Amino acid sequence: MLSMTAVKKIYRTNSIETYALSGIDIEVREGEFVAIMGPSGCGKTTFLNVAGLLDTFDQGSYLLDGQDVSRLSDASMSRIRNEKIGFIFQSFNLIPDLDVFDNVDVPLRYRGWNAKKRKEAITESLQRVGLSGRIKHLPSQLSGGQQQRVAFARALVGEPSLILADEPTGNLDSHMAEGILDLLDEINQDGATVVMVTHDATIAKRAHRLVRLLDGQVVEADSVPHRSAFSLVESL
Amino acid sequence: MLFYQIRLAFKSIRRNPVLSMLMIGGIGIGIGVATVFVTAHYLFSLNPIPEKSDVLHHVQMDNWDPNRGWDDNDPEDIPDQVTYRDMVNLMKSDIPTYQGGSFKTFLYVYPDPEMGRPFKKITRMCFSGFFKMFEPPFQYGSGWDLSADENLEPVVVLGPEVNQKVFGGENSVGRMIRIEDRDFKVVGVLDHWRPFPKYYDPHNGAFETAEEVYMPFEFFRLLKVRSAGNTSNWQEFDWSDDDQYLASEAIWIQFWVQLDSAPQKEAYFSYLNSYVEEQKKLGRMQRPTHNKLLSVMEWLDDRGAVPEEATSLMAISLLFLLVCALNLIGILLGKFLARAPEVSVRRAMGASRFSIFVEHLVECETIGVLGGLLGIAISIGGLEAVNSLFDNEFSFSLDGNMLVVSILLSLLAGLVAGMYPAWRICTIPPAVYLRER
Ligand SMILES: Nc1ncnc2c1ncn2[C@@H]1O[C@H](COP(=O)(O)OP(=O)(O)OP(=O)(O)O)[C@@H](O)[C@H]1O
Ligand SMILES: [Mg+2]
Repeated sequence: MLSMTAVKKIYRTNSIETYALSGIDIEVREGEFVAIMGPSGCGKTTFLNVAGLLDTFDQGSYLLDGQDVSRLSDASMSRIRNEKIGFIFQSFNLIPDLDVFDNVDVPLRYRGWNAKKRKEAITESLQRVGLSGRIKHLPSQLSGGQQQRVAFARALVGEPSLILADEPTGNLDSHMAEGILDLLDEINQDGATVVMVTHDATIAKRAHRLVRLLDGQVVEADSVPHRSAFSLVESL
Repeated sequence: MLFYQIRLAFKSIRRNPVLSMLMIGGIGIGIGVATVFVTAHYLFSLNPIPEKSDVLHHVQMDNWDPNRGWDDNDPEDIPDQVTYRDMVNLMKSDIPTYQGGSFKTFLYVYPDPEMGRPFKKITRMCFSGFFKMFEPPFQYGSGWDLSADENLEPVVVLGPEVNQKVFGGENSVGRMIRIEDRDFKVVGVLDHWRPFPKYYDPHNGAFETAEEVYMPFEFFRLLKVRSAGNTSNWQEFDWSDDDQYLASEAIWIQFWVQLDSAPQKEAYFSYLNSYVEEQKKLGRMQRPTHNKLLSVMEWLDDRGAVPEEATSLMAISLLFLLVCALNLIGILLGKFLARAPEVSVRRAMGASRFSIFVEHLVECETIGVLGGLLGIAISIGGLEAVNSLFDNEFSFSLDGNMLVVSILLSLLAGLVAGMYPAWRICTIPPAVYLRER
């Protein structure tokens, strides 16, 4: 699904060069649920942005679904973001002027579906996160957990194959975090690949595999998933 | 998609109503002012007689002082009217379909004392060809025949105002009317007629109303009237002596011919040239031969029928609109960049740079068009002011042209104001703004 080799990302400001990513090698297979951990400033967000084609990189190669994405036009990258990728942010990033329905509608607007098809998808997506009763609410009228659920609905509505979540539970209490993680699990079981950044080791346990970053490099990656698909089937 | 973009634009406009009102007001004033002057300029340059402007021709020849041309600044320029003797000679030609000279004067009309007191009215002394060439609309009757010109029959065509004053607006064809010290028979009554500009005689008030009384040209001798328009002369003679006046080089007649085909026009132009050669042999017209046979639009163009003021006011008003639009750039830029986090979210959700650009340009165009609507209201008031520059009943009014001009100007202003801010916001790096929380 996602394969990076020696990817470097350098920020240059007033002749100071910061290596946000200093040669990342990582491979995420289709259907995996990967957790990324590491100290603050080690490049986790930068990695997600590069992986999600929101940011460019300076060196190395990146194949997404087998396609080299380093030389794509803005239009093609936007198309890939729109169709394949769902972003979830720590601070939810809902658009404050739009109600719940319109927020979830945003990715579909750039896909050019007709009104009926959009409405069906939005309703279904909101049902899935348990918020179908709140479609006319503005983000400011929702709790943090509810806002993150709307953000989930927005990320899911276009049925992406890759979910990139940057500390999705960072702003939530443990109870609400639990619900969000259940949702992530569910999405993953439905077939989406999930890459989640977190600071919290217990949360990272929910993933199949843990990748540790330090100073823009992968320092430790479990080759064996600590909760394999096999053991998952067993536990059912 | 456009509907979605317009909806987003209105949301954004409502979010900050005061700032939005200021922007719309600013652009609205610019559009209002520009619309008034662009429309005025456009109306000035309209073809006053589109059906016939190619066949009607204004005749000019250079009978001026051999030692000093008509216009010191422009040697190409020649006298813009003709002498009485040249008109009489030229009218012997049977090449034109219709022809005739004419001039403007003022005559006293004496209504039945029961109807009102005598009054002085703007009059055109002309030939039967005048009505054939310029085709003013008739309410009743028609112009007179060629024979009335030749036999100097006392006939008259009235404008609607005089017909109202003297005959109460009734069909007065066949009735008698006293003008100066003579009785004339009414043969026709015109409908409202307002050639704009008054192309057949722009020397004497290009934006004046048409005449209210028309009578056979040669009555000027019997009524002892002279032109009330411009008369130019370069020779000394006794003005009070009619014979000297009519034989002089003084120019005071507007002479027009109707030439329906190219061969006819060619034939007439060579006739005009040979006439001038003939006159040269007689000792007149000693300047280089330079005759003009201009169609209506060529003639108006040659004269510069659009007043210079109209052109410069239009230019100034467009510059003013440009300043209004440029002013908006800064405000829009601030407003858009403040929205960078939201735009970054949209980019993350799959909006391309181009869609972001279009979304924001649509917002600018929406502000532009709302400003345009305000501008239309302003320009209605502005036209009242322009109308007061013309002290007669003619008036510019709001019409379809003006609406189109306003909308086009507002779209243009929206584009000028919006291109840069929309480009800036669409090129922001989304990753940077998604981090800033
Ligand atoms: N726009 C920028 N210009 C310069 N340096 C930057 C920029 N953005 C990030 N960096 C640097 O890149 C490095 C990686 O940042 P990144 O946000 O990816 O870290 P992170 O692992 O997500 O940290 P956190 O856990 O605090 O969210 C940091 O050292 C940061 O200072
Ligand atoms: Mg981070």
